[in-house]
Amino acid sequence: MTGWLLRRSVDALLTTVLATVAVIALVHLLPGDPLTAIVGDRAIDPVQRAALEQTWGTNRPPLDAIGVTLSHLLRGDLGISFATQRPVATMIAERIGPTLLLGGLTLLLTFAIGLSLGLWSALHPTTLRARLIGTATLIGYALPTFVIGMLLVWGLAVRSPLLPSGGFADPLLSPDAGGAAVLLDRLQHLALPLLTMVLATVAVPLRQQRAAALGTAAQPWVLAARARGVPQARLAWHHVWRPALTPIVTLVGLWLPMLVAGAVFVEALFSWPGLGSLLATGTTQRDVPVVIGAGLLLVAMVQVGSLIADVLYHLVDPAQRPR
Amino acid sequence: MKSAAAGLGLLAALLLLALLGPLVAMDPNLQPALGDGTLAAPSIAHWLGTDQWSRDVFARLAHGARASLLVAVVAVSVAALLGVIIGLAAGVAGPWMAGVLRRVIDVGLALPRVVVLLVLLAALGTLPLPLFAVVLGVTGWPSLARLVRGEALRLRHAPFVAAARALGASPVRVAFREILPGALPPLLVAAAFGTADAMLLEAGLSFLGLGIRPPSPSWGGMLLEARDYLGTAPWLLLAPGIALVLATATATLLGDALRRSLTPDQR
Amino acid sequence: MTPLLEVRDLRISFPRDGTTPLVPVDDVSFEVHRGELVALVGESGCGKSLTGLAIPRLLPDNASLGSSTRITMDGTELVTLSESAMRPWRGRRIAMVFQDPMASLNPVMRVGAQIGEAITAHQSVPAPEVRRRAIALLAEVGIADPAERVDAYPHQLSGGMRQRVMIAMALAGEPSLLIADEPTTALDVTVQAQILELLDRLRRERGLAVLLITHDLGIVAGRADRVLVMYGGRIVEAAETTPLFAAPAHPYTRGLFASIPRLTGDGGRLVPIAGTVPPPDQWPEGCRFHPRCPVAIAQCAAERPPLAPVGDHHLAACWVAAGRTP
Repeated sequence: MTGWLLRRSVDALLTTVLATVAVIALVHLLPGDPLTAIVGDRAIDPVQRAALEQTWGTNRPPLDAIGVTLSHLLRGDLGISFATQRPVATMIAERIGPTLLLGGLTLLLTFAIGLSLGLWSALHPTTLRARLIGTATLIGYALPTFVIGMLLVWGLAVRSPLLPSGGFADPLLSPDAGGAAVLLDRLQHLALPLLTMVLATVAVPLRQQRAAALGTAAQPWVLAARARGVPQARLAWHHVWRPALTPIVTLVGLWLPMLVAGAVFVEALFSWPGLGSLLATGTTQRDVPVVIGAGLLLVAMVQVGSLIADVLYHLVDPAQRPR
Repeated sequence: MKSAAAGLGLLAALLLLALLGPLVAMDPNLQPALGDGTLAAPSIAHWLGTDQWSRDVFARLAHGARASLLVAVVAVSVAALLGVIIGLAAGVAGPWMAGVLRRVIDVGLALPRVVVLLVLLAALGTLPLPLFAVVLGVTGWPSLARLVRGEALRLRHAPFVAAARALGASPVRVAFREILPGALPPLLVAAAFGTADAMLLEAGLSFLGLGIRPPSPSWGGMLLEARDYLGTAPWLLLAPGIALVLATATATLLGDALRRSLTPDQR
Repeated sequence: MTPLLEVRDLRISFPRDGTTPLVPVDDVSFEVHRGELVALVGESGCGKSLTGLAIPRLLPDNASLGSSTRITMDGTELVTLSESAMRPWRGRRIAMVFQDPMASLNPVMRVGAQIGEAITAHQSVPAPEVRRRAIALLAEVGIADPAERVDAYPHQLSGGMRQRVMIAMALAGEPSLLIADEPTTALDVTVQAQILELLDRLRRERGLAVLLITHDLGIVAGRADRVLVMYGGRIVEAAETTPLFAAPAHPYTRGLFASIPRLTGDGGRLVPIAGTVPPPDQWPEGCRFHPRCPVAIAQCAAERPPLAPVGDHHLAACWVAAGRTP
């Protein structure tokens, strides 16, 4: 197991490094002067120019430049943002939390709801409720995330103002407000973006779980367990759901890039102060250091997530575990 | 097949809107009645109402349809072209090159498409529409390349390929004349689904202000502008929203139908 | 002595859209006594597996039993029991062993846990005791190193071992009746013999009644007390083993014997039974075997022959064999 884990981790690391190189190389390989690519139409003074040459190697051949940038990256130096003049690394650090919060909760909710509804649908396939669930999730999947978001804002924030339509926290909330008030405020602001993300992606684990559970429910071992007198609840959990789990875990790895794309648009729509909206505003402002920094971090997070999913897969499937 | 019929019906409607709509509708950028003609509800004069600048929503929708379709088709074509070249090469090349290309495809798949797009757009700035479509397409090659590579690996040992080689065909010729046709069916299916993805990405980018630039009409841009008027003028949200959903549903339904008819033995 | 199990007029039907229901099992009646091994023999498609599943009421949800069907065990009528009333019987009084031991074992659950389920489903037993009993059962079915094997996953065991595990699971509830549906078909020939030996030994040691469902006449010889031959969803011959093997009465049974290859004898050609088994919705009128029967008479196509005595404790459903016309 450890041997495999080591190899898989090295693989993930290698892919991340190569992906990083690719992203940096993009800037250098575009037609024209890399300095222009980074700076755009802005006017810069000699001090700024020198700093850029230092970090991005804009005055050197592409290969050298990539090396220079990589070495800076490893030291945690991602350059200075044009828009805010602050270190990109600092800006990113501020934004990781909200993205992890939104992304993490989305992952938990989507899989919890998707798996349980999917299992239920497989155990009661002919009921109207099961068919409705299937259709509703498919519609959610087909709708673009930001359209779902706007529909929710329209319904729950504008027509009947139950929830705030954006932001992370109420700026008017008194700093002396108690912990409960703060928590409630945070939850209220989290509600719509979270609901949007979940609605947009719950179809994937739900349909996968339903298909897998339909497959296992028909297996002979379920009949054999019934013949032993095993009660219905235990049958559903241990003999239908648990064996169907292995393909579900691989889903996480595939679903993560979808999460990133959703995060960018949803964070932008709801002014959620995370990496996604940073990426979006950075691109609008042509703030290349910020875009590259935030983008690379998202890439790394996807790789880590995918690695964790693979580890989980190995833990869940006893046939894979070494003995 | 119901989904194929539905898909074709929607496609017809979409094409009608995109091709004939702009001919029938008024100028989408016209702001005739800035005084009291703004945010008018749908009526006989304005089928889908007017927006905050008193522009006709239907006209903008129709022109937006044309733009979205164009971008999506160009993007998918570019992605398919790149994907085929890299995928074929990865499938038929010698061991060293094939290994390198496999790693290249892996890295391409590891990078979320949105991230790459945003980096490129940040570096390139505002682009004319055709170039934007090309850039959008350029980011879509990895999944198509993986598919083509898979097919190429599967087909390279087929007897007809061996026969072609025995007759003296060069590897390049074999790749394009023998293997590519075999990979076409799943490629077409993936292209159909890829069109839906491209449309959604374009709409999303336009929503962020990064795609089709105002004042050119685009569905994403219309959705962005609708944000501020959700309570007062919901048709500004509903018109482009429903249009976008129907357009992606078209591509998805057609993709499903293609998959069932072209690749019946695959999932 | 009252039989342990009495099956009367078993009729299983499946509804079909737009047409008459499918009736793969029609008017099957038999008994099983304590400690007996009764073999239910027939080709695939004759309804024997469905008959076996009907007893613990494990038929698919869309199956219906005939209105006069009675399945009585130890005096209790099982047909009328609700699902929750039926569950205590399964594993505890009636146990089943299935054909494919790989597919019948949950691949992500240790075998000890699966055996344990059979125990805890019916009694509240503390975990260490469950484990002890599981190990003891594994030892009883002849698995070496039971204390280690109890934690194994199914894929880590050989086919023969898996089938022994299945038998252990079946015994865990201390049943009085064991229904074994083709228990050896998926196994190698040498392993087959071992499993049958095991079943025999358990029967003697525990006084277990066994209903052995199989298509293989060969494994029946020397083991079964009585044999029931099924064809076309009906029982066509019922007798004690020795008389049946000595003088099979029904033309179908004779055909089965004639088509078994023999090591001894003159090495003549195998004589297959002419024709093929029709699907359940195309059974002929009268005697269901008559189109393939070498001795059929006009009567056979017209009227269905009842099970009639053709010897001592020997019944056959055949006009010709019974030597009479109605």
